[in-house]
Amino acid sequence: MATLTADVLVIGGGATGSGVAWDAALRGYDVVLVDRFDLAEGTSGRFHGLLHSGGRYAVKDPDAARECVHENRILRNVASDCIEDIGGFFVTTPFDDPAYADTFAKGCRDTGVDCEEIDPAVALREEPRLNPGISRVFRVPDANIDVWKTVWAMARGAQQRGARILPYHAVVGIHRGGDVVTGARVRSALTGEELDIEARVTVNASGAWAGLLADMAGIEGVRVLPGRGIMIAMNHRLVNTCINRCQMPTDGDIIVPMRTVCIIGTTDEHTDDPDDHHVPPPEVDQMLDDGEKLVPGFRQARALRVWTGVRPLFEDAKASDTQTRDVTRAHALLDHAERDGVKGFVTITGGKLTTFRLMAEDTMTAVSKHLGDERPCTTKTEPLPGSEDGATYMLGERLERKEQNLADQQVICECELVPRWKVEEAMRRRATTNLDDIRRLLRLAMGPCQGGFCIYRAAGILHGLDGLSAEQTDRSLLDFLKERWKGTWPILYGDQLRQARLDDWIFQGVLDVEHLPASDAAITPPAREELAS
Amino acid sequence: MRGELHYDAVVIGAGTAGLVAGARLAEGGARVCVLAKGVGSTHLAPGTIDVLGYAPQLVTSPAQALDELIAARPDHPYALLGSQAVAEAMHWFRARVEGGPHPPPLPGYQYVGDLERNRLLPTAVGALRPSALVPETMAAGDGATSVCIVGSRSLRDFHPALCAANLRLAGIEARGVDMEIEVSRADENALGLARRFDDPAWRADFAARLALKLGADERVGLPAMLGARDPHGAWTDLEQRLGRPVFEIPTLPPSVPGMRLYEILRTALRRAGGRLVLGAEVIDFERDGTRVASVATHAAGHDARYAAPWFVLAAGSFSSGAIELDSGWATHDRVLDLPLRGVPEAGEPRFVGDYLAEQPMARVGIAVDAGLRSEGADNVLVVGAALPGAVSWRELSGEGIALASGSRAAQHVIAEAGASTGAAA
Repeated sequence: MATLTADVLVIGGGATGSGVAWDAALRGYDVVLVDRFDLAEGTSGRFHGLLHSGGRYAVKDPDAARECVHENRILRNVASDCIEDIGGFFVTTPFDDPAYADTFAKGCRDTGVDCEEIDPAVALREEPRLNPGISRVFRVPDANIDVWKTVWAMARGAQQRGARILPYHAVVGIHRGGDVVTGARVRSALTGEELDIEARVTVNASGAWAGLLADMAGIEGVRVLPGRGIMIAMNHRLVNTCINRCQMPTDGDIIVPMRTVCIIGTTDEHTDDPDDHHVPPPEVDQMLDDGEKLVPGFRQARALRVWTGVRPLFEDAKASDTQTRDVTRAHALLDHAERDGVKGFVTITGGKLTTFRLMAEDTMTAVSKHLGDERPCTTKTEPLPGSEDGATYMLGERLERKEQNLADQQVICECELVPRWKVEEAMRRRATTNLDDIRRLLRLAMGPCQGGFCIYRAAGILHGLDGLSAEQTDRSLLDFLKERWKGTWPILYGDQLRQARLDDWIFQGVLDVEHLPASDAAITPPAREELAS
Repeated sequence: MRGELHYDAVVIGAGTAGLVAGARLAEGGARVCVLAKGVGSTHLAPGTIDVLGYAPQLVTSPAQALDELIAARPDHPYALLGSQAVAEAMHWFRARVEGGPHPPPLPGYQYVGDLERNRLLPTAVGALRPSALVPETMAAGDGATSVCIVGSRSLRDFHPALCAANLRLAGIEARGVDMEIEVSRADENALGLARRFDDPAWRADFAARLALKLGADERVGLPAMLGARDPHGAWTDLEQRLGRPVFEIPTLPPSVPGMRLYEILRTALRRAGGRLVLGAEVIDFERDGTRVASVATHAAGHDARYAAPWFVLAAGSFSSGAIELDSGWATHDRVLDLPLRGVPEAGEPRFVGDYLAEQPMARVGIAVDAGLRSEGADNVLVVGAALPGAVSWRELSGEGIALASGSRAAQHVIAEAGASTGAAA
């Protein structure tokens, strides 16, 4: 069995784990990162994309608000290419308690959130689809963040400094000698091969799964309450500004414009299983109704996709199981040497996406002490690869680039304007056969047709690269179609159902993918449950 | 709105079913008008006449499988139509392809096949897709044992190597070849390339370059783009130049062979004196008791109202937008607000999570009696994909149902009109 050695092993390739790897690599440590699936396929890739101004927490959780204010400013500089400066409104709708607005304004003043009250008429001119009944509006520096881009930028930056990034490697055991954790054994989901990783410090950055990983290390009592929330992507930017309801945080009160779509979120239901991704129909209706309150006519827009994310809420002694939103959003760094007398093992969990950099900094500062060779954190000032010029993303960028070479660049995904060379480059760089990996990297197939036209093309291109077999290609194509269906069937109505029927015609009617020679039991992929072990 | 226009029959929808109903009504002497929001399913489908491909196992003989399906599924459109109606409608269709007393709409272009045996034609991904009656330009794909699949990087909608690799898995000797094709825009589709194939000089050059790459006994498979104006001429020319059978493989929309099918049916309608109004979405209707009295259309320039004793509803189902599931999960016929059949009960699942399982919403259609008459209006006959009970994109039954039901509706109207004229006389 092959063995890798490293200073630091990071378990979990979400924003936090990737941030830890990036931070560690910048400090000059030798680091290995593993994730059971693709990077940011868990909680990080399953949120609405909001980079908080802090406004949401200004009243309820002032410490969290202050952290957001601080991190928002840093990330706009170091991760500028991943961020779109959409700005945010907190609006008092006819459904909200009008008294909250003053409480909100005071909370923002107290926590340092940049907040300016504006005339609702001005807000309605900027966002004409907003509910015309809004009575007060506050402008805040919300932004959106493309988490896949962010995570891969950090991973690439770390790789350039020697880090080894291993997606699709699930931890099957944590090595422990006496009271020291010495690394882990991982198994490749693609080849089934196992690998031992010896590390001086192992960081458990597995978020909602942190309790399971701590159990594997023989450490008891790390309890993470998974809080499941649903999000729905609508096919237009119904608004161009992030819209928050000015009320105590609750369900369905945020719409975040993100690239070519906008996302409404979210709910908050306790679940026992962090891999619980079911979408309860009443929650879909609730989101659509909540959307109507902010943007009348919301239900007439096409819902493209629904997904759930699971918040990792570290248990607080005061919280009950069923009120996960009331558990602190602050992160929890557990140094198991202090907590449990087990050296070489640190758990970071809780928190929220906006503060991932801070979580990584705190973690590596603690790890650095254990390594006996303290080095300073530089993630506050070192830009991620691609963000060196400090310019934030503009919505029109892809179109502008495409218009310059209409004649000679084949577009594979018309919805998201993804050119052929990008698809080929991403497939080569990732060396992946999973079209979902390419989707996350390039936003391929994320638009209104949900891959109806581009996924056959992408499968053909995938097959043409590096001599992939027909069986593997067919499997990639069918896996993609099955995975896509999971995110569309609960929200199929109106014109999106029309679209789905057209896609059925293309894949089942014209291409007959169901009856490909290799499409029997032979190409059933391994179940996710197996990989998760 | 201009004054009301009066016809013997108004057909709503210009897919295969609507055009067949319109043409046959006109041929039967009715003054008929076909109203449609736009062209229908033809431009999306492969251009084959699928009768029954899967039931759910691969169907080798549609004639035999139809009788079994009719016995097993009394709710299926074929159970209302009967297998004889399918055979009769196919016979009518082949005569229209040939032009009947007129010159053929596409000179020389034929369909080949019958109900005794499904042809198995390669798809663009390399599956073998069953169909009963297929364009001559595709026929050599059936039964090929050694093929060269030819594509071009210039056409993003066809990937010859993948097609060939899957054919090899099915036991066919196959390889993929890429040809240089210069295009004026990088996003060229099959229709754009089909126009190139209409040009004899261009075709000759293409054939000469391709010939150098071919083995001795290989048939040649190309994406379905052999000529937009004169497919028979382009195809026979290519076969002669290459000295071997050549066949087309349908790929992503827009479908060139589907457009030819549309042209054949549209020509039949026009030659019989029927009128076709595209861009005329039906936006309203008036009822007279249990009957629909007239429909109103919204078209560029002006709105219009059409009155007729008979209406044929050929507007399709969810994919065309004629039937809608709204965000409050209610299902409606958006054209004439007729009652539906096959809608899952409230609280029952509308869809299930397994992509390839049968979806509960799949068989929804306009509720009809045994004579295709809507349960909500005495003078509305329902045809094609608007009928409940079929999952045509999986069964591969769409054109068979469209031809037979379009024909049946036309015959019904003509018989009734004849009876009432006779009674009056």
